Amino acid sequence: MDEVLAVSGLSAGYRGRAVVRGIDLSLRRGDIVGLLGANGSGKSTLIRAITGQIPLIGGSVTVGGVDLAAAPQRAKASFGLAIEPHELPAPLSGRQYIQLVASIRRCAPHDLPSGDLPGGDLLERLELGRWIDRPIAEYSLGTRAKLAILAALLGRPPLLIFDETLNGLDPVAAWEVKRVITALCASGRHAAVVSTHVVEAVPALCSRAVLMAEGSLSRSWDAAQLAEAHRVPGAFEESVMQALRTRAAA
Amino acid sequence: MRHDRLVLILLRRELVAGLRAMRRRDLAWIGLGGGALLAYAIADIVLALHAAAPKLRDAQLLWTLGLPLTLAVLGALTGNAVSGLCLERAFAPFLKALPLAPGQRRHMAGRATLAIFVPLGVLVGVSAGFACAVIGKPLPGGWGLGAAIPFALGFGTAALWRLRRPRLLLDEVASETAPVGWPWLRRLDRARPRWLSSWAWRLPGGHLRPSWKMAAACLPLAVAAILGAWASLAGRTAGPAAVAGLAGGILVFMLSLRCQPLGSPVLRTAPIGFTRVWLRLVQLPLQLSLAFFLLPAGAALAAEPSAWAVPVAGGLWLLVLNGAYAVFGAYFLNAPFVAMMSFASALAYASYETLEYGRTVLLGLAALVFFLWHRARQRYRNG
Repeated sequence: MDEVLAVSGLSAGYRGRAVVRGIDLSLRRGDIVGLLGANGSGKSTLIRAITGQIPLIGGSVTVGGVDLAAAPQRAKASFGLAIEPHELPAPLSGRQYIQLVASIRRCAPHDLPSGDLPGGDLLERLELGRWIDRPIAEYSLGTRAKLAILAALLGRPPLLIFDETLNGLDPVAAWEVKRVITALCASGRHAAVVSTHVVEAVPALCSRAVLMAEGSLSRSWDAAQLAEAHRVPGAFEESVMQALRTRAAA
Repeated sequence: MRHDRLVLILLRRELVAGLRAMRRRDLAWIGLGGGALLAYAIADIVLALHAAAPKLRDAQLLWTLGLPLTLAVLGALTGNAVSGLCLERAFAPFLKALPLAPGQRRHMAGRATLAIFVPLGVLVGVSAGFACAVIGKPLPGGWGLGAAIPFALGFGTAALWRLRRPRLLLDEVASETAPVGWPWLRRLDRARPRWLSSWAWRLPGGHLRPSWKMAAACLPLAVAAILGAWASLAGRTAGPAAVAGLAGGILVFMLSLRCQPLGSPVLRTAPIGFTRVWLRLVQLPLQLSLAFFLLPAGAALAAEPSAWAVPVAGGLWLLVLNGAYAVFGAYFLNAPFVAMMSFASALAYASYETLEYGRTVLLGLAALVFFLWHRARQRYRNG
């Protein structure tokens, strides 16, 4: 099956109040969807709903052909989420955290999609080698983000979800992570959702982009539009800002 | 000083934020249900005091030793908890950048501790005075004041001791990052999912750091086990050792169970169910609890082999109580102290009412356990 994520008519929120509504989204293997939006637009709520952290008020989420509400554990086995850096278990070392996630996903701690990547070992590419045996509490924000990304790739899940993970990375690590995401999705075995505020990174990284505003998808860009925007420096940012201004004025 | 009330402001804001985070329906349930239960408990206590008034009025040992000692211990425990709470806020990491000397932070914490003590002291005094009035003890006001004094002494001593040693708090924070101590948990913590107990117990790298706190917790438990075993062996009766084993076993379980990983997205977004994580978190505390139980239970069996059913029943009750507490621990996942107090209160209340109304009251306790289990599971699945 090529479709790894199908979101249909999704409404979700907190305490019965919908924060996001009417979301339709579909991802096939090879897709990289950039999720954009201002603070409070509902990006994180949408990701929480897709990953089963909050209940759906309406609609459905299917991950790898499995309905998230009906069989949450089976659906969760089909995605890897790079959790927010501050949510990592601080007392454990990086290696122990990887072993914890691997034992939950029932795979080996070295079961990473390194074969799909040029240049081999992910641990070294993300420069985690010298940190991996130290407690996570001692990590910088960027190192924590790299560890969260590494854990998301464990067991080679078909859907990879990055919730503002690129934001805390230094330029070298961000470039390396973008290369890893691109290479994994280009292999045709994975798809990725990248929620980010780094608007300028989207045209080069993503094959599609959607803009969230006030809890719904207000605009989308397909691969051709992104490629076109990528050719003119600043064109995509201008396009996003234009969409946000139009929305604010409406 | 400008920042004098900072700790109090932080505590008040945390309380308000906590209340605002709750659903109105839940708040209404807690307010109405708790209020009704409190009113019933007060009425019940008044009736019980009335019934036992003549006996209570003349119990010299109670008034001269039992009550002051109990209130002093209660005050010391409260003082330790309240001053720890205030110190944590005064030395909070986000306040590091403020130009405040450690002495000023201690002063802020001390002021907040004092502010919290005042209503608590008044509550203890008024309650004692009211109880004296109910049983017809002369000078109830004086007895109320007399009850507040040992409580204040216990509270003040513990709070001062803690406030003068903020290093203890800083050492605790440092121990979360420094992997020193015995690495024995590394070997015990390899069941799937791996490292869950190290995470729950906040042991850096599975290293258990010996501390005064741990020694202080272990010593009374060891003494209780030895005394229970000795009493049984000397009296050739299984009772004391079995009771020591049961009480100590549940205490070990309560002190060692930590469930905060149940709230983490690391587990909630992973392909693993609530029950499996919960059972895994319970596993090591249960082993510790049963290991403690074995010594007194063995002594009980040796003292009176024909009464083998007593330690066996004790073991079964230990399993049941551990299971019930594990549900409380999962429900109050970030507040083990609240879980312990709630469980102890629920158990004490159910035991008291059972004496009056028979065993049907235990069904209420079982229903409460199932309700908390259901809510904890729902929260794990749906946030």
